[in-house]
Amino acid sequence: MEAYIIQGYRSAVGKAKKGGFKNYRSDDLAVQVIQHLMKAVPQIDPKQVDDVIVGCANPEGEQGLQVGRLISARALGKEVAGITINRYCASGLEAIAQAVGKIKAGFGHIYVAGGVESMSMLPMTGYKLAPSYKANLENINYHVSMGHTAEAVAGKYGIGREAADQFSYESHKKAAEAIDSGAFKEQIVPVSVEEVFVVDGKRKTKTHKVATDEGVRRDTTVEGLSKLRAVFKKGGVVTAGNASQTSDGAAFTLVVSEALVKELKLEPIARLAACAVGGVDPLYMGIGPCVAIPKALKQAGLKLNDIEQTELNEAFAVQALAVIQETGLNPETVNVNGGAIALGHPLGCTGAKLSIQLLNEMKKRNQHYGMVTACVGGGQGIAGIFERL
Amino acid sequence: MKYRLKKVAVLGSGLMGSGIACHLANVGMEVLLLDIVPAGADKDQVSRNHLADTALQTAIKSKPAPLYHKSFASRIKAGNFEDDFKKISEVDWIIEVVVERLDIKKQILEKVDQFRKKGSLVSSNTSSIPIQLLAEDRSEDFKKHFCGTHFFNPARYLRLLEVIPTAETAAELTEFFMEFGKITLGKQTVLCKDTPAFIGNRIGVMSGTEITLLTEKYNFKIEEVDAMTGSLIGRPNTASFRLQDLVGLDTGDNVSRFVMNNVEGDAYIDALKNRPEPKFMRFLLDNKFLGNKTGKGFYEKTKEKDAEGKTKINALNLETLTYEPAIRPKIELVKTAKGMSLMDKRMQYLVEGDSKEHHFFKDYFGALLGYAAARVPEISDQYFPIDDAMRTGYVWDFGPFEYWDLIGLERGIELIKAQKGQIPQWVADLQAAGGTSFYKFENGHKKYFNIQTKKYEPLLGTESLIILDTYREQTPVLKNSECTVHDIGEGVLCLEFTSKSNSIGEGIGKGLHEIIELAEQGDWKGLVIGNNAKQFSVGANLMNIGMFAMQKQFDVLERFVDDFQQINMKIRTSKIPVVVATQGYVFGGGCEISMHCDAGIYAAESYIGLVEVGVGLLPGGGGTKEFALRASDDFFEGDVQNPTLINYFKSIATASVSTSAYEAYDLGYLKKDRDFVCVNTPMNIGRAKDKVLELAKNYMPPSSRTDIQVLGRGGMSVLYSAINEFRLGEYMSDYDVEIARKIAYVICGGDLTAPQKVSEQYLLDIEREGFMSLLGNQKTLDRIQYLLMNNKPLRN
Repeated sequence: MEAYIIQGYRSAVGKAKKGGFKNYRSDDLAVQVIQHLMKAVPQIDPKQVDDVIVGCANPEGEQGLQVGRLISARALGKEVAGITINRYCASGLEAIAQAVGKIKAGFGHIYVAGGVESMSMLPMTGYKLAPSYKANLENINYHVSMGHTAEAVAGKYGIGREAADQFSYESHKKAAEAIDSGAFKEQIVPVSVEEVFVVDGKRKTKTHKVATDEGVRRDTTVEGLSKLRAVFKKGGVVTAGNASQTSDGAAFTLVVSEALVKELKLEPIARLAACAVGGVDPLYMGIGPCVAIPKALKQAGLKLNDIEQTELNEAFAVQALAVIQETGLNPETVNVNGGAIALGHPLGCTGAKLSIQLLNEMKKRNQHYGMVTACVGGGQGIAGIFERL
Repeated sequence: MKYRLKKVAVLGSGLMGSGIACHLANVGMEVLLLDIVPAGADKDQVSRNHLADTALQTAIKSKPAPLYHKSFASRIKAGNFEDDFKKISEVDWIIEVVVERLDIKKQILEKVDQFRKKGSLVSSNTSSIPIQLLAEDRSEDFKKHFCGTHFFNPARYLRLLEVIPTAETAAELTEFFMEFGKITLGKQTVLCKDTPAFIGNRIGVMSGTEITLLTEKYNFKIEEVDAMTGSLIGRPNTASFRLQDLVGLDTGDNVSRFVMNNVEGDAYIDALKNRPEPKFMRFLLDNKFLGNKTGKGFYEKTKEKDAEGKTKINALNLETLTYEPAIRPKIELVKTAKGMSLMDKRMQYLVEGDSKEHHFFKDYFGALLGYAAARVPEISDQYFPIDDAMRTGYVWDFGPFEYWDLIGLERGIELIKAQKGQIPQWVADLQAAGGTSFYKFENGHKKYFNIQTKKYEPLLGTESLIILDTYREQTPVLKNSECTVHDIGEGVLCLEFTSKSNSIGEGIGKGLHEIIELAEQGDWKGLVIGNNAKQFSVGANLMNIGMFAMQKQFDVLERFVDDFQQINMKIRTSKIPVVVATQGYVFGGGCEISMHCDAGIYAAESYIGLVEVGVGLLPGGGGTKEFALRASDDFFEGDVQNPTLINYFKSIATASVSTSAYEAYDLGYLKKDRDFVCVNTPMNIGRAKDKVLELAKNYMPPSSRTDIQVLGRGGMSVLYSAINEFRLGEYMSDYDVEIARKIAYVICGGDLTAPQKVSEQYLLDIEREGFMSLLGNQKTLDRIQYLLMNNKPLRN
């Protein structure tokens, strides 16, 4: 049985450690987004949801204790189940794919699927970095940090500093235009954040609303970017300016079976026509989409030319450029509203967030096929192809 | 009245003001740093505080760091003269560092007079305006509490603090600043008279001018003069012309002009007025080639690189006034003199002979000694403050009268006379009193000739210092080729390193072993390990290690390493307290010794590090073991442990050296509650002695440990991953990786399959194995050889 995406919403993406969500837990954020999502589809009683699938790249600390379950109970009621899944930066898209798979297998009819991440609260490597001794003797690069993989990709695929900085500049420019034109307005759930702080020895409560993505630097110039220091490698190309930003965010979609769509006369917006993952050498993690994209196209019976728009997660400018170069994607159709370099990359949330952005933009442009693709730590790639209905 | 200072306001946030603010924060003061509201500022606080704010941020980021620890920046609050001036009513001390203009300074001080609380201290950091003029028109209470306090830039590093009272300054205030500056601020305080440029700059101007004139007279290249006036005569390697570039030619010119225009009865300066200014000085000033800040001065940094990747430097040809590639001068006299390690022999050689270089030195020292002698009592009632000022303000190893002692009293007089200089009466008095030198050591005191009483008397202000030179006349408790042990009173011993650069070899090991046994058996309270050298210790004697390794005498080496480990364990577990006192470099083996002491008094200016990887080794004298132990002690119930382990590991694996003693806590070399920082470097041995006496009251030595939690393979794995990142980032070579993995092995207790508790001796054994295996590698030998020959590390 076919599965359809009925609706999707996301929070604005906050700058980690300094933005509006720096002290706001990602499970609280998820509850708000999911409740907003369910209100938009009043035909469905929240208690009927079969499962809440929550992607999360660092499911420990504030995101530990089976955060998926906690989110389902608080957002929809204790009768509704929830699960945390993890495929690092692909988690949000993976969650949607799992919902679709379950419906197609006949395991259920209604799924809330997406992802969360607070990079303000959780260290990138988790609290205890504890790689396997045996694995490290087999291949020291199983656990290599993402920045070094980007340098490796830049070296292997000949991506230079200038190209990377230019790409980053354009990401910021496109993102600023998108925000100014209100392109994201409809998909963002405004969240009001209450904070209690001691100011001059007195407790003070203040509330602020977060409704706009925070990462864009409007004053960025190519020249300014070119002055930043390489972070990971002596004389390397990867800088804080041409890498994705660390961020906080939540994004969820509602996925419903064909039978229930008909029964409740819902209006689906799209279906996930294909979704594939594949592995690459962990040291060249950034090139992951190159193995996933052909697999997904084959599943969908499409050619690359059929894809009218792509959200390619900008983990690093060099990695995005290498993927464009190697797959032959048309750069004009990639990240039309900017990417993670400008808008942020809340790891576990990103796949779902990009899917929601894509579907909204496809509607605006009246397009049929769009793709979300991302590289994944540990040496993987994911590609999901959406058909708009 | 007892002054107690905690809060201070620094008025003016220029280079000097922000530097002073940082140093006052270094010693724990709460600092209010104020400057004017910039023209056209908006109404908001950020905009109005912009000047002081940015000055502070720039200072904090500058190198060398003005703060001992970057967290100390939180002790400084920036503000502006309009909104925050009233806050000076809350501070205990107000120091004025605004632009050097009498009218502006007076305006500010008038406001200070209006807002300050009675009894609070006020001082000016002026370098050129008479303090007396600044006190004019002020209230009685202000005048009583006002004097000059002249810091030198950079305020943290240059130890000179000139204190200049006016006629109305309360005597106890002057006394207080002399003491506070020394004990709390760590400075060498020097009492000055209110004469133009005080002491340091007055002598400094004369010395710099004379060298410039002699360069012209003898037609030297500037590179040659810099080669002759740097470390050769115990001065920084910036020597003369590089120093002028560093300070800024305009700044130097301003001070010179100021001195020229304001001094009275100064024969040297009067004669100068009639001498034509060297044409190259005019050329540089007119063209605004003012030194480093304008890109060129006497020297020019080009954009080109040589074959070794070093920036090519040009030097000004003083005749053609064009820049030419700088040469490395080969001067016979320099070579010969450098071969003389005893400074008196060297100095005597420099002023004896007929080459033009010899004449240069004869002229220079004749002029310098004559000038300094003639300034007493004009700028100081005694002569020793002049030496103090030049040593600490200009970083000369010797002040004028100390040079004179090295050269010899009679010879110095001849040199002065050859320059047609006068010998002042007080020098004649000194000779008449049978004196043959300006300083001498007697009965545990360093003495100077008091020109009023005409007698040798103990140097003022050195009572609280333990100067090991003063013990040289007494029979040492123990002495060998590398160390001497002095009885420093009250039952406390002090082991002083005396080897070259205080490197650690068998002699020090043997000395430590013997003195600890002796102390344990005898009636001694405990031991201080300390010395008065610039560098506490550069580490193990590499020359010996390298030689034995090249001869493949590994059994000898292993015994040496084993002995060194055992002596460090003995330091820790002996029945007497052992306290280290450090300053300058505390490297490698020196660091290992200090980490095994029962306590440490570290001068703030201690640069501490286990730097062995630079020569292809791991810390083998118990240093790696000690870091495993310290990591284990930091673990707590429920701790994930790996981040702690990584931090300790990184310090060794990247040979991290602290830029101050405070930073060494972060790097793991110092331990809270056990090690203490002493801001005044020369006081460290005295404080270490106090610490020994305190510990000795109820001393119970620590036991050798058997409960060190090591992480085995789990720990090694996370360190392997960390090492991999260094390699991928090209911060480590393949051989660095090999060394780092050996360190990982030792610090984790080996490739154990599970975390467990092990003993110190087990860790020492695997540390020694690791050290020996690295010594067997040719690449390590190459590193050792390269460092010994080139004085910089090889990355192979």
